[in-house]
Amino acid sequence: MEKTVYIRMRNRVLAKPEESIYLMDIAQIIAPDSIVPELKKMKVHQITDRDKNIIIIDVMKIIKLISSLIEDAEVQTIGPAQTIVEVMLKKKQMSIPLFILIWFLLFFGSAMAIMNFHDDVSMRSVQEKLYRIITGVEDTKPWIFQIPYSIGLGLGMILFFNHVFQKRINEEPSPLEVEMFNYQLDLDNYVIIHENKESMKRANDD
Amino acid sequence: MPMTIKVITVMFIGLAGGLAVGSGFVAFLTVLGIIPRLTQLTKTMKMIRHYEWAVIMGALTGIAGSLRDPILGISPYFMLPLGLTGGVFVGMLAAGLSEALNVFPVLAKRLGIDGKIIILIMAIVLGKIVGSIFQWVFFVHL
Repeated sequence: MEKTVYIRMRNRVLAKPEESIYLMDIAQIIAPDSIVPELKKMKVHQITDRDKNIIIIDVMKIIKLISSLIEDAEVQTIGPAQTIVEVMLKKKQMSIPLFILIWFLLFFGSAMAIMNFHDDVSMRSVQEKLYRIITGVEDTKPWIFQIPYSIGLGLGMILFFNHVFQKRINEEPSPLEVEMFNYQLDLDNYVIIHENKESMKRANDD
Repeated sequence: MPMTIKVITVMFIGLAGGLAVGSGFVAFLTVLGIIPRLTQLTKTMKMIRHYEWAVIMGALTGIAGSLRDPILGISPYFMLPLGLTGGVFVGMLAAGLSEALNVFPVLAKRLGIDGKIIILIMAIVLGKIVGSIFQWVFFVHL
């Protein structure tokens, strides 16, 4: 009787250097009970120093390994065709001085950028004119307009990224979280194609 | 007769210019996704037509204000909510723009600080507020 094995590769897996990767780490498995333990403990890859920090394990390799382990297995794959194994070379240690440097870089950078923007669009004259339209009084320092404007500027950004009311308004992800996710997907797609020797093979390679 | 042609030509050019600027304005708003974001936050997707009209009416009011120079002569305290809402709008524009340019994901990835990205956003938010207040209170009067 044929033993049907269903395999669903996980998208991303984190691993430590020198670790052995077993099938259960990188895929979900459904198979007849008699062979499940054997499959779960099947060694797929041994991380060595020669590996870089990204390893792509293609489902074709898994199928090959399974069919050499269990003769009459019929492998059905569902979902992603490969798993990205990210090797945590060293624990990512964020340096505090660097972080503070970046913080002030962004702080002063955005302060200067907004000043340049205001100057570029002649916001001063627009605001003074608006003040004259509404109040009928000429004022070169319409702070009653400008200070709320400045605070609103920050509020608008916070509102857009939905960080203040993150939990209260709704559970939908903020645009930033979606953006981070999309960026990660793009990176993953890149490494899937470029780090996987099989998918980049040229016709006259071997 | 030549007069009529001139008037029609000028009207046509004016209409064409307005059409280009207006569609550009709407396209800009659409790309930055401010209105969808606001409807998402407030769960008022059904009212999107009204929001469109709000933008159009606002733009037309702005045109009237900038071209005709009317004087309303009402209390300066009316400037408070006007300034605040105007600021929120520009702030959302800026946020939408930095999001469209993928600034934060790249930065967070390079620095390896996926969790603390809020602090980086706060740097930009505070920078904008401080820069703007500094400009209006001191800088433009130097």
